[in-house]
Amino acid sequence: MTEPHSSIKGHLAARDLSYSYGPKSTLERVDLELQPGTLTALVGPNGAGKSTLLHLLHGRLQPSGGTFECCGSVGLMPQRAAIDWTFPITVRDMVRLGQTKSHGTTTAETLLERVGMGEMRGRRLNQLSGGQQQRVLLARALMQQSDVLLLDEPCSAIDPPSREHLLGVMRQQASSGQTLLVSSHDWGSALDSYDRVVVLDRRVLAAGSPAEVRDQLNDMACLMGSHCCG
Amino acid sequence: MAELDLWWLTPLILALLIGLICPATGSLLITQRRILLANLMAHSVLPGLILALAFELDPTIGGLISGLLGALLAERLNQRFKGREEGAMNTVLAGFTALGVLMVPLLQARVDLETLLFGDLLAANEADLIRTAVATVALLVLLSLSYSDLVFLGVDPDGAVAAKRPVSRIRFTAIVITALVVISAITAVGIVLVIALLCAPVLVHVDRCLSLRGLMLRSAGTGLLLCGGGMMLAVAADLPPGPLIGVLCVGLLLFKRP
Repeated sequence: MTEPHSSIKGHLAARDLSYSYGPKSTLERVDLELQPGTLTALVGPNGAGKSTLLHLLHGRLQPSGGTFECCGSVGLMPQRAAIDWTFPITVRDMVRLGQTKSHGTTTAETLLERVGMGEMRGRRLNQLSGGQQQRVLLARALMQQSDVLLLDEPCSAIDPPSREHLLGVMRQQASSGQTLLVSSHDWGSALDSYDRVVVLDRRVLAAGSPAEVRDQLNDMACLMGSHCCG
Repeated sequence: MAELDLWWLTPLILALLIGLICPATGSLLITQRRILLANLMAHSVLPGLILALAFELDPTIGGLISGLLGALLAERLNQRFKGREEGAMNTVLAGFTALGVLMVPLLQARVDLETLLFGDLLAANEADLIRTAVATVALLVLLSLSYSDLVFLGVDPDGAVAAKRPVSRIRFTAIVITALVVISAITAVGIVLVIALLCAPVLVHVDRCLSLRGLMLRSAGTGLLLCGGGMMLAVAADLPPGPLIGVLCVGLLLFKRP
């Protein structure tokens, strides 16, 4: 990753980004640009390469082609499956794991209140429901105070009220200037919660505002079948 | 005044020390999902121990090298047999055990295999205490320097790598310390039974503790009672302490409150 031509913190740009798992191509020449203070949805069917793209942008994987630049730090909220929820640790200490050396004044307790988990701070991870686990992961991701925050399916398999709450927190973060890229299975009117939408299926199929993306896809044959239409 | 017969003191001290450090180490191994590797290392030390004893060298060095070789071989085979790691590791475990048994007649080593496999706590001596003390200090140093890294690695292994925590160094250090703890425990409970002492006291507490530190302390406390009590019970009943402690470990799991 290199420093971008733009010096605005939170600006991220990827050009021709590609990745392959052995002989199988997972991402092909992906172009992506994120502006500071925006909430962008990354949507696509299972196997589209959403998680791979996030891991490339976070530096966990090395691209097989292309480049990307970011001004500032990049944080990641992983999928729930990446965490050992049976580990003996409290919710508060789990959030504190997101603390970096250049950390500011935000405390774990403050972030847990924001995500609606203040009362659960002393509980063990294995006492949490799926929606509560997602909230804790979001709080830990926010603890990183990164300029760009990548979120891997934060609203996966949670109830609608929890989803709305998490989206509200993400919207607040974007309003305060943070850049957020959210991998999601949202579709239809659910995408109106976002500033921009990127539709991915190994390559970028459409990108723009939610209305622009819907128009673009209406003009194309739907390659994603029943996963995303309707 | 007749002199006190303190023949039981060294074995008791060893039993108590082992009762502390085995569960503490087991807490790390279970939360890091490396317990299968620990069982493999417990058996892999056998060829090195026998080689060292046959040539009258320090068994700790021989066992340590042998244990690390077993772990290294297992890691290599795990890459080759992805998705079938348990099969590969258990094969290495059996193979090293068999190699150790073969070495006894090949080297004409005067080694009591039964003692190595099942322990002989009542034959403990000062060298065993020193070996255990070294393992204890090594474990304490690891915990004092890398506790937060161990927690991060246990909760979110990929995240620990991404956060540039010293994952490889910690894993290698943990393997070395596991080998030292296992070698220390051989006198008490033997190669075959040490895995019970690494696991049982931890399993009783792992679902309730609020921190890794709390888990290690509670497990160590349970191990202390298990080993100290097991030894005294064995002396009273004239039974071998190692196997009795192994059976008590199973009893501990059976009577754990749900």
